Amino acid sequence: MSTTLAAGAGLDFTLAQQLTVIALCALTALISHMALAVFNDGVRPFLLDFVQGRTTRSATTAVSFGLSAGFIFGLGAPMALSTGVLNPWLVFLPTDILGMLAPKKWIAPILGAAWGAVVVFGLNGANDAAHDLPVDFLTAMQQMSTPILFLFTLFPVLAITKQFGRRWGGIAGALEVALVVTTMKLWPNMFAGALAMAAGVLLLIGLAVSKDLRQRRADRAAGTAEPVLADDDPMMSLFSASAARLRRFLPLFMVLGAGVCVLAQMHIFGGGEATSFLIAKGHYSEAAQVDFYRVFGFIPLIATTALASGAYGIAGFTLVYPIGYLMPNPWLAAVVGALVFAAEVLALTWIGKVLGRLPSVRDSSEHLRSAIGDTLQLAILFGSLMAANAMGGGLGILLVGGLYLLNESMGRPVVRMAAAPAAVIVGGVLLNVLYWLDLFTPVKG
Amino acid sequence: MTKILTGGVGKVEVTKAIGGLGIDSLDIVQSSDMDAAMKLRAGQADYFLGTCHTGAGASLGVLVGLMGSAACHTFGRSVPSEEEVGTLLTAGKKVFGFSMDQIDVIAPLLARSIAARG
Repeated sequence: MSTTLAAGAGLDFTLAQQLTVIALCALTALISHMALAVFNDGVRPFLLDFVQGRTTRSATTAVSFGLSAGFIFGLGAPMALSTGVLNPWLVFLPTDILGMLAPKKWIAPILGAAWGAVVVFGLNGANDAAHDLPVDFLTAMQQMSTPILFLFTLFPVLAITKQFGRRWGGIAGALEVALVVTTMKLWPNMFAGALAMAAGVLLLIGLAVSKDLRQRRADRAAGTAEPVLADDDPMMSLFSASAARLRRFLPLFMVLGAGVCVLAQMHIFGGGEATSFLIAKGHYSEAAQVDFYRVFGFIPLIATTALASGAYGIAGFTLVYPIGYLMPNPWLAAVVGALVFAAEVLALTWIGKVLGRLPSVRDSSEHLRSAIGDTLQLAILFGSLMAANAMGGGLGILLVGGLYLLNESMGRPVVRMAAAPAAVIVGGVLLNVLYWLDLFTPVKG
Repeated sequence: MTKILTGGVGKVEVTKAIGGLGIDSLDIVQSSDMDAAMKLRAGQADYFLGTCHTGAGASLGVLVGLMGSAACHTFGRSVPSEEEVGTLLTAGKKVFGFSMDQIDVIAPLLARSIAARG
């Protein structure tokens, strides 16, 4: 069996797919314009000030652009180009910005649709053009898939180690590696990390829930009052006002949920960092598992920022991604996506209250996100150097590694995670220039 | 004793970075956004340092809502100077968000400035 899951690049969309992307981009831009939802979790907190009229549309646009640009060009675009599969950073972060930028409500969907058109038509052209270059850096970038998929498998282990110490971390690590080896031996056609990741995430959640329950019992035994959020607490009243605002727009959110779920169902979109590579290879059930486990790192973050700001996530709790991948047809995906979003929005207040009582579980989600970042950082850097080697040998490594180190020494103007893939693209362009100057002979492969 | 709470994806690293400075007047404790919001309002803590991938501190979410944006500041992707941090502290900022790949620079800077103010 092959452990290399190289992606098949090629952005060939059908008309129905193109129209879906364009229509969804129009919708997400409109929703961003109304400050009802944004994809970037970092932007959401700033929408409260905008909704309450304490800041201007242009200031909020600047925040949104500043926080998203690096992820669009550094993560979203290179990932889409190298896998041939769309991703939320490329599709939804720009519509966050464009929707917020639009001075009038009717302009937002037009700008969003225009971006959707750029994505489906422009990316295809850029993809074709890049593949025809003497130094094909897009094919080289597929080298990134193996380190991303395999290292990503370990993210629960890192989270467990950070939260529950070395002993549990060691147990989780041994368990996951054993499961990866077992999976490769017994089910060679399955993504090797699928079972391991499931076991890791379940172990982490189990540890966190049991810690919270033990703590609560101990508190009760000691007669200490649990820190409960009273209904007249300012935090609770802010939360319920936000939840009420979101519920007023429930039908719109249901349309959004339907749209995102249909996009995932079309298998032209991967929701997580590792998922695009799996989707590109047609491993839909594995992609669904990966994105499902990733959800646990994000539910508390998305729920609390939504409750605090009155703006929801464009992909909600991102549960619609894995559900979408598994749906047999777009119609069913639309219905289920709408229902999932309705359930999420209606359950927000309750989720906020439950999370208030489970500090270790919230802690786990932060550790999970931190661990996702750590695994990806190494995987993306290593994969980028492999790509550099594939396209330019030692000179490629010098250029890409050099650009990465330069970014580090300059105080990281480019987000660290995006620096290496961005360096691959710049390095690829430089190698092509060197080729034209007759200073470089492409590596044959 | 000034109590600083940490939160967000890089809270372990921020706590370590500041704890390692050996500043006796600072008490640095791992927390979370919701707990920090309650403790800051109740006066049980003085500052909150949140971290995330973008620097906006998605971890600032609840705090911006509850403390008001006047008490919050995000460095985003920028690395502030000592003067800037001083100005922000004088202006009454208590909640800071920064990017986790800049923890090694910004966390000690904030800790020293906070400690210098007593």
